[in-house]
Amino acid sequence: MIFHLSKVFVIVTLLPSFTYGEDVDYLRDIKPMFVEKCVSCHGPVKQEADLRLDAAKFITREEGLEPVALGGHPEKSLLIERVSASIDERMPPEGEGEALTPKQVKLLREWVRLGMPAPEDEEPLPTPDEHWAYQKIVRPNVPDTQDGTSTHSVDRFLAKQQSEQKLKAVDRANAETLLRRVYFDVIGLPPDIKQLEAFTENPSQEAYESVVSQLLDSPRYGERWGRHWMDVWRYSDWNGYKQAVRGSQRHIWHWRDWIIESLNEDKSYDRMIVEMLAGDEVAPLDPETLRATGFLARNFHNSNRNIWLDATVEHTAKAFLGMTINCARCHDHKFDPIAQQEYYTFRAIFEPHNVRTDRLPGQANVTKDGIARVFDKEPAVKTFLYRRGDEKHPDKENPLAADGIKILGIPFEVQPVDLPVEGFFPALSEKIEKEDIARLEAAEKKAAAAFGKFDLPQTSDITESLTEPPSPALPEKLSVEHQLAIVKYAAAKTNLSALRARYSADRAKFLPAEKKDQAKLNQFMKTAAKAERLANWSAARSTAFQKWQAFDSAKSSDEKNVGKKKAAIDKAQKEFVAARTETEKKRLELSKTDAKYKSVGPVHPKQSTGRRLALANWIVHRDNPLTARVAVNHIWLRHFGTPLVENVFDFGMRSPQPLHHDLLNWLASELIESGWSMKHIHRLILTSQTYQQASAAPVELLAHNNSIDPDNHHYWRANVQRLESESIRDSVLHVANQLDMTMSGPDIDFSEGENILRRSVYFRHAYEKQMLMMTIFDAASPNECYRRSPSIIPQQALALSNSQLSISAARSLAAEINVTHSEPQAFINQSFLTLLNRKPSNDELTACQQFLLTQAELLSKQNDLTKFEGNVKTEVEPAADPTLRACENLIHVLMNHNDFTSIR
Amino acid sequence: MEMNNSTRRAFLSDMGMGFGSIALASMLSEDARAGEQIADKLTQIAPKAKSVIWLFMIGGTSHMESFDPKPMLNKYAGKTVEETPFKEVLNSPFLENERVVAFDPNNGFIRNELYPLQVGYKQRGESGLEISDWWPNVGDSADDLCLVRSMWTEDSNHGAQIQFHTGRHRIDGFFPTIGAWANYGLGSLNENLPSFVVMGTPLADCCGGKEAHRANYLGPQYDGVPLKIDPNDPLPYAKPPQGVFKEEQAGEFALLRELNQLTATQYPGDDAVRARMKSYELAFRMQTAVPDVVRFDGETEETQNLYGIKQKETKDFGQKMLTARRLVERGVRFVQVYHGNNGGAGSWDSHKNLKSSHTRLCKQVDQPIGALLKDLKQRGLLDETLVVWGSEFGRTPGSQLANGRDHHPFGFTIWMAGGGIKGGIAHGKTDEIGFHAVENRHYVTDLHATVLHQLGLDPRALAVPGRKRLEKDFGHVIEEVIA
Repeated sequence: MIFHLSKVFVIVTLLPSFTYGEDVDYLRDIKPMFVEKCVSCHGPVKQEADLRLDAAKFITREEGLEPVALGGHPEKSLLIERVSASIDERMPPEGEGEALTPKQVKLLREWVRLGMPAPEDEEPLPTPDEHWAYQKIVRPNVPDTQDGTSTHSVDRFLAKQQSEQKLKAVDRANAETLLRRVYFDVIGLPPDIKQLEAFTENPSQEAYESVVSQLLDSPRYGERWGRHWMDVWRYSDWNGYKQAVRGSQRHIWHWRDWIIESLNEDKSYDRMIVEMLAGDEVAPLDPETLRATGFLARNFHNSNRNIWLDATVEHTAKAFLGMTINCARCHDHKFDPIAQQEYYTFRAIFEPHNVRTDRLPGQANVTKDGIARVFDKEPAVKTFLYRRGDEKHPDKENPLAADGIKILGIPFEVQPVDLPVEGFFPALSEKIEKEDIARLEAAEKKAAAAFGKFDLPQTSDITESLTEPPSPALPEKLSVEHQLAIVKYAAAKTNLSALRARYSADRAKFLPAEKKDQAKLNQFMKTAAKAERLANWSAARSTAFQKWQAFDSAKSSDEKNVGKKKAAIDKAQKEFVAARTETEKKRLELSKTDAKYKSVGPVHPKQSTGRRLALANWIVHRDNPLTARVAVNHIWLRHFGTPLVENVFDFGMRSPQPLHHDLLNWLASELIESGWSMKHIHRLILTSQTYQQASAAPVELLAHNNSIDPDNHHYWRANVQRLESESIRDSVLHVANQLDMTMSGPDIDFSEGENILRRSVYFRHAYEKQMLMMTIFDAASPNECYRRSPSIIPQQALALSNSQLSISAARSLAAEINVTHSEPQAFINQSFLTLLNRKPSNDELTACQQFLLTQAELLSKQNDLTKFEGNVKTEVEPAADPTLRACENLIHVLMNHNDFTSIR
Repeated sequence: MEMNNSTRRAFLSDMGMGFGSIALASMLSEDARAGEQIADKLTQIAPKAKSVIWLFMIGGTSHMESFDPKPMLNKYAGKTVEETPFKEVLNSPFLENERVVAFDPNNGFIRNELYPLQVGYKQRGESGLEISDWWPNVGDSADDLCLVRSMWTEDSNHGAQIQFHTGRHRIDGFFPTIGAWANYGLGSLNENLPSFVVMGTPLADCCGGKEAHRANYLGPQYDGVPLKIDPNDPLPYAKPPQGVFKEEQAGEFALLRELNQLTATQYPGDDAVRARMKSYELAFRMQTAVPDVVRFDGETEETQNLYGIKQKETKDFGQKMLTARRLVERGVRFVQVYHGNNGGAGSWDSHKNLKSSHTRLCKQVDQPIGALLKDLKQRGLLDETLVVWGSEFGRTPGSQLANGRDHHPFGFTIWMAGGGIKGGIAHGKTDEIGFHAVENRHYVTDLHATVLHQLGLDPRALAVPGRKRLEKDFGHVIEEVIA
């Protein structure tokens, strides 16, 4: 805020003044007001009443149209009349903007009175057709190498502008700084001492490039950059109230694993988009691919379908296209050429889709595990425009067809997708059938064993009762336990038979056959129906039998409280009677002969609309001007700390052509032409000299460059960056050799962050379910985080200095270093190298040596010291020896050092 | 290295908590003028209050049985609304303000059969404000209270809780809360304490959760900092784990300061180093200052009894109220206290058994809140402290489930006391059965605007570039209640 306001102030004082009269200035007073109040309807995107106000020259209008203002005559000017009119006539109209303040009206009047003076070379705002981000990506020529500078293409783009600006890029960072930077950047962890030593010995470009390759090949890369893309793609584990899912989906972590794996294998970005939006349409039977649709499943919202679809529209467009389509939900977009109707045609792409959880082998219970994925549940559902965005007022007359956004000029072609049987009927997969049959077989076996324990003669009618409707009365001479075993066995056995019969029928019904034999199918279905009726009756009978037992034991219980006992008996009796009635109902159904049976699982639509695949293809179309630009901008941001296009999710009309437009286009072309390889872009960026330069520089050079480009827009030096929350926690553990590198798997409880020492990316990340250490260090909001904003707050200091995590890590690292480097100076050196990846300066060394002495002295007199009355126990106890404990303290100090959390 | 101006200022303004944005920016920035200019812009109104204590009852307190008694409910008890002279309430255009997100088959209906008041009421104080007998202690301070009986909101379900704090309907998402804006606009008067402190279990996840004290796009430095009434564990990471010596930690901090200073000298342009050093110093002081706030040894027996911290029912909230006083005494700007978290909609949500639940809940909070008002006044702090009491909505004039009342967004009461607000007045009105706010109607952001105004902030000057605030976000100051 401070920055923005003062910047305005600076601009105003530096600009050549176009001040006329005493206190009105077109550029200062009038134009910004037009832009704020008028231009969304009277500007380059829309020209209501044929009027534009984005440049003063338009006020006189084209021939044949009356000018809206007459210089020198505010009283004869429509412009003045309308801005000061009463509410019905007022501009801007109610609901479109607040009225001009009296002061603004006064300024405007004065300006008209003076004859509407404005600079002659005033450029109107660009029209959508001219907007840079909507132009096809054309690969620019790489500028010639400047004298004595790098031949790397990235550098050549920047060097050209630097030399035009008379800026001089600073030199390469020293080896330690550079290595630390590239390690954190690519894998989110610092180098160890050996890696550091090797590189400082040979810090050549060649050696550096081989480090880059090594890091990009490391599985840690996927974890680090996976987290970045999880920010952009709004990764969220499920949230909800108790067990009810309110947002996202259970087991969405499979999508996280997909992200990490995809990055590690350098899956092409276009393919990633296709899989995330339409994995179910391109690979309906591949659970590995289906995981990707977590991108959409994540938008699930339990209470309101509109919220769900709004989020889907908004964030699909922001993440991949840098478009704020969401602004067109209630009215045409105020700044961009997106009509309100287009919001809804875009929504229509998603209208049929919904979420479901597919079973995974070995786990029939989908609340325990499964693949949360999307599918087109209602292919025929219609989409209507909501008038003023109000869901209570759909425009039912005009259902809308799915479409992309027209201004991008990419064809949107929908081709419905016929799904294979197991795609729309997952239970029919052989794996699931085998598993379910096996489960019922086991149940039957168990029941049979229980039944077999009774060695009374097993009468023929009992045996028959297991396959045929038995007589309702079981032989009374049998014990209750025996009778129970019989009914249970009967239930298990009939249940198994029914499932087999239902599978046979479903297979006959759904699996493709050379020619359908209707008679045979009917027979299968009838058999299934009959088996199911028998199973239902057996199950009901088994339940009734057990309810009767419960009733019986309630009657004979030794409950002393008469009231309680009676209540228990009444309840049990009620349940028994209900179960008996149900059994009788099921028994009567046995006489039915129809072919109605329950399918072995849910059957979904056989065809997917193909709309989402059409969208994915539209997004990754070679001529789509936005997709590649938006992606490389995100990548650039995370390498340099600042993006090429400032607003990373809005490349619309409010986003001016970036300073490094050619570089952006070149990188975007590289992304596309490399087959959408992200690793290719990383490599290009990382191997540039620009990336490798120092953040610090000699005073004179700094003074010179700062006088021209204090904000480093030209990347003449590196930016100092603070580590992200995940890297901070991970590196505390990593330096102490405590980080558990296990990959993948279910999200870990967020409250276990100081006990389970896995990488932070694997912990639960959802609304109200985030590790405290993460949120304190500005972790991504699970709801939206296209760009993180690091803060410096005292809670961070408390967290890093007082958490048992950092104290235990410090103690264990101190013990380890002490084994090989117990001499103070060696210990200090080793600690600096491990934690800050550099040697201490002489001053630092002296300070630390002094500290080790005085701290050990202090700690040797523990009786004189006061303990904190903390509640938390540490995993690692402090050393008994004061000297070693002082060493632990030193390590702990370095973990809190400014440079431990900084990248220089 | 050299840090450019914009980055430096961003860092400085990011240094929240102990210091306010502007205060700190102008203190540390070489370009202090920029900070001052903004400070001027924001505080062009003479502040009447230094601090706010914001008390929130979770679940919906019955307005008729608290601060807006309606004898007509007794007169027409058991009658349907149509059978009374007030049947036009069912045709009111105000009903359209309700925005239903998800239909709830159990709650959120207009209950038609009028339910009599479950408690008596009296005129209290010189001003004779009518207050129910469930609030005897708060009633003692009637002449300091400004009742606003004409509040309304949009959400007929408990999303209204977050709406009460952000001014936006739950469906619109999360936004900076009133406390965060105050924090953002003012900063702290005490560099050892956070300037926005929260006590009590926050809203449940259902209803906005911790977002009710978060700063959202203003940044985490403006979030409310949760404080527990436990000198041993008042805030997360407030002290090291067991076994660490105070002198040991002090030694570490001294070395840390020395090392960071060396780094700061090496990189004179890197303001982040200095900001981080400052944050460690604040953190170090907070370790002592924060536990001290919740240590009551220095409070007299009489004071402790006043707040009821020795009685079972009032202990919990009494401690919070006493802590609230101690916080504002120390210059904390905004103290937000929740009462009634029950993991769901909130304890005040009396769909049934209203009489027994409100009796119990009022017992828990009345004496402590009454004590707070009296204590602030006797210490001369009430003039500079604005106490606000509220709940997300009121309850239906009609009955639900035989002995309860349903949610009611169309008319309800909040009150303010101190901080330059007129005492002993009732502003605005509901109709005779407490259904609609009919006179001087106020949406929740009018309350926000009033609070900010008393703090000397112009709500319209509080904005962040790129973040559009709607007309309704700003609210209108309730001029009539300002002393």
